[in-house]
Amino acid sequence: MVLLKSVPPPTEGVRHEQAETTAIMDGKGLGCGTLYVAETRLSWFDGSGMGFSLEYPSIGLHAISRDLSAYPQEHLYVMVNAKLSDENEAEMAENVHDDDEDASSGGEDDDDDEEGVITEIRFVPSDKAALESMFSAMCECQALHPDPEDDDSDNDFEGEEYDVEEAVPEHGQGDVPTFYTYEEGLSALTQEGQATLERLEGMLAQSVAQQYHMAGVRTDESNAEFEDGMEVDAGTTVAGQFEDADVDH
Amino acid sequence: MWLSLVGKDVVVELKNDLSICGTLHSVDQYLNIKLTDISVTDPEKYPHMLSVKNCFIRGSVVRYVQLPADEVDTQLLQDAARKEAMQQKQ
Repeated sequence: MVLLKSVPPPTEGVRHEQAETTAIMDGKGLGCGTLYVAETRLSWFDGSGMGFSLEYPSIGLHAISRDLSAYPQEHLYVMVNAKLSDENEAEMAENVHDDDEDASSGGEDDDDDEEGVITEIRFVPSDKAALESMFSAMCECQALHPDPEDDDSDNDFEGEEYDVEEAVPEHGQGDVPTFYTYEEGLSALTQEGQATLERLEGMLAQSVAQQYHMAGVRTDESNAEFEDGMEVDAGTTVAGQFEDADVDH
Repeated sequence: MWLSLVGKDVVVELKNDLSICGTLHSVDQYLNIKLTDISVTDPEKYPHMLSVKNCFIRGSVVRYVQLPADEVDTQLLQDAARKEAMQQKQ
């Protein structure tokens, strides 16, 4: 049947308050009262303080209806994904399924699955101009109550499940390509990398002259840090480079 | 991806079997959908709603959204979806 409780109206976070609003639930008029579009829930209370509340996650759809041929007054239509019963609020969508008498959507009750149970509510304000702000306030509050999605959320950028192995195309390394310093790189070497390092170091050892002891000190000897092991003729280099600099004035 | 669909006519089918046709006005990050200029697609599946102007559909009740094939570049859509999937993983 219809849920009417004596609950105090919300006092905080009321985005919109609309007095002189008639509520009709599944075709049953509940009388005239005040609609509160609060951030926590949607509430409506009549003159005697009785009313009901709706949780936003249970509100599947809301719309402004202006077609007078379909319904004689402009109103705010709200579709709730639940059947409202005496004890429960709109959250308890799964349980209630025994209602045949509520002709909420014509002949649709026959092929009900668990999702097909809905309640239609119409809020008819005396001030039709308020419909836009009522609608907007509900939109805003809906956005405050998103559903938790457990799977396949394409809005989530958490990405802890990033599988490095399958993302990197056959490089044989499991690491995102980056440049390591010598110390870091040494510990991060794979077996292949280690073998390469040993090979190169061997090449360096062969091509380096005796005076090559300290890195960074450029002696007359060749700079043997080229990976390709190319030998540079130091004598030619030095003399050739500074030929014009040694001109005596 | 959704931004390219704004302004197109779509049919939104909800999980409770209701179908609503309208122009896609906006979509938010939760896939809440705003439609304008609603019209009936399938009278049997159409709720007692009547012809409304503006409608807000909660993302969680949407089963799927039918896009008009000729208005959507499916190649673009595939590329965008692939990109999003890769971005997700990072």
